Amino acid sequence: MAEAIQKKLKVEVEKYAQMQKEVSKSMSARQKLETQLTENNIVKEELDLLDCSNTVYKLIGPVLVKQDLDEAKATVAKRLEYINGEIQRYETLLKDMEKKSEQHREVLSSLQQEFQKAQGLAVGKV
Amino acid sequence: MAEKGQVDIEHLGGVIRLREEHEKVVKDCESRIQHWKKVSGDYEALNDRLKTLPDQLSYDIMVPFGPLAFMPGKLVHTNEVTVLLGDNWFTKCSAKQAQKIVDHRMKYVKNELDGLSKTIKNFEARVGFAKNLETISASKGDYVDIREEVGNNDSVVTKGKQRMAHKPNSKPKQDVFFDFKEEDEENEEESRDSGSRKCIMTEEELWARLDELEKLEELQDEQDKLSDNGDMNGEDTSSSSSEEEKDADAATPVNGLSLKPGWSALPSSTAPLRQDRKEEEDFEEEEEANCLPTIYFSHTVEPKKVRINTGKNTTLKFSERKEQKEHSKRKKKNGHSNGHAHHELHKITTPADLYRLFVDVKNGEPIPRKSILKSRSRENSVCSDTSESSAADFEERRIMGRSFSHDEATHSDTSDGITEEDSPTAVLLQPPSRFEAFSGTVIEKDPMPSAVPHLTISPPALPTILEKKQEEVAPDVAPPQQAPKRVSKFKAARLQQK
Repeated sequence: MAEAIQKKLKVEVEKYAQMQKEVSKSMSARQKLETQLTENNIVKEELDLLDCSNTVYKLIGPVLVKQDLDEAKATVAKRLEYINGEIQRYETLLKDMEKKSEQHREVLSSLQQEFQKAQGLAVGKV
Repeated sequence: MAEKGQVDIEHLGGVIRLREEHEKVVKDCESRIQHWKKVSGDYEALNDRLKTLPDQLSYDIMVPFGPLAFMPGKLVHTNEVTVLLGDNWFTKCSAKQAQKIVDHRMKYVKNELDGLSKTIKNFEARVGFAKNLETISASKGDYVDIREEVGNNDSVVTKGKQRMAHKPNSKPKQDVFFDFKEEDEENEEESRDSGSRKCIMTEEELWARLDELEKLEELQDEQDKLSDNGDMNGEDTSSSSSEEEKDADAATPVNGLSLKPGWSALPSSTAPLRQDRKEEEDFEEEEEANCLPTIYFSHTVEPKKVRINTGKNTTLKFSERKEQKEHSKRKKKNGHSNGHAHHELHKITTPADLYRLFVDVKNGEPIPRKSILKSRSRENSVCSDTSESSAADFEERRIMGRSFSHDEATHSDTSDGITEEDSPTAVLLQPPSRFEAFSGTVIEKDPMPSAVPHLTISPPALPTILEKKQEEVAPDVAPPQQAPKRVSKFKAARLQQK
């Protein structure tokens, strides 16, 4: 009896550990997106400050490619929107994962209690 | 004690951890500040370089060739700078434009630095606090735990009546004790501590005495109608403030007396008197139950001082507190009846009572005022402030204070002038159990003694009401010839005014 519970417990613990990993992954991805967001905001501001006289380049690999100022502005704006969307998506994902991990936690705790009871019984018997 | 010790240890552990966490945050902030300062320094250098770069058309420099080699070369197009905007975006601009961009970034860095320095200040303060807490929990240092046990409505100063959900004639609430720890005030309270100790000791016995009297009074009160005092009685009557409120407010329910709680010791004049004041404090000053030296503080109420015109431009300070003292003293001497009567007199159930209470003295005769809001004349009026209660209380004192013996003469402050007048006229007052306009007996009163020539205090009552006093009362009351004839008070007043 106790052994069965123990096995169950192990399985549950593994599942819970995985959940936690996934949560942390999404957390870090979201943080990256956050930094990108701030950066793109700065770029947008700078581009707005510039006038047409200076040329804008984009670094694609080792190559600096000339870009039009307006094009550049549009590109940056699009990128900003994309980043925002990604952040939203990740947030919802994170919430779901949190809920799941909570459930797992509860299951774990109940299993632990059972296990302890069984252990106590076993000790008593012996 | 062992439990307390355990709790302390837990607290200590928690506090230590708190302090450590705070310190971590502080360190983190410090490192970030360092980083931002470096960035700022770099930008400064860059700025300088950009300023000097366009000075020459070309520079002879040593160009780095890979990680290990340099090559002599020239720096051309000194005004053209390619600036990284972020996220792999570049722009070519002149040196001046680049400088603008650099300034922009410098602002941002500065903002970050400011925010971080604020945070660090905040957390440093918290660390300091946590340290203090630690030393306190560990009972080290010379921190003293100061406790103040406050009554239920003690420190709540209200201008109006306090609303209590009590039935009339119900017993007053038991005193509510609660500890009031003031750890932050340790430093200042060290000085106050010595002052409070003295008064605490003298008040303790007074409160005990008051306790007894209060119980007696409760019995009395329950027999009578206490519509006015019902509310007040329901309060925490054992506290000094509510005691005063009860008395004072009973006289003038309209007038809200605000008694200011003060940290002061009782005035010296109260010391010789046996004050019947209840205090709920625990007078163990250096109790070690807390593993800390503890000082128990008492919250006392300052007397309300009222300036009174007593003829010829002299003013006396009427101390509300003295009034209450005398009331309580009266209670003590005369038992329940006096206290009861005291309530009766102050109780205003009919409009006539107002006229009874607020009277002026003119040539030794009580003359009711035309308006209780006005004082007749400077010479004759009792109270120059708008609070009517003092007038009522004055009168009260005159009525009730007859029985005082000469220990009252020990009063030392200015309001003693009033009380001294009472002492020579030792009269026992036993008002009837019920308040009546006319008790049916007529008493001839002696004229006022010359002992109190300079004081013109409002006499007890109108002629018709004075009959209530069955004992020898102070001589300053109505002319006896009107006593047998039953006249309405208003008429009597009018007659007298003529």
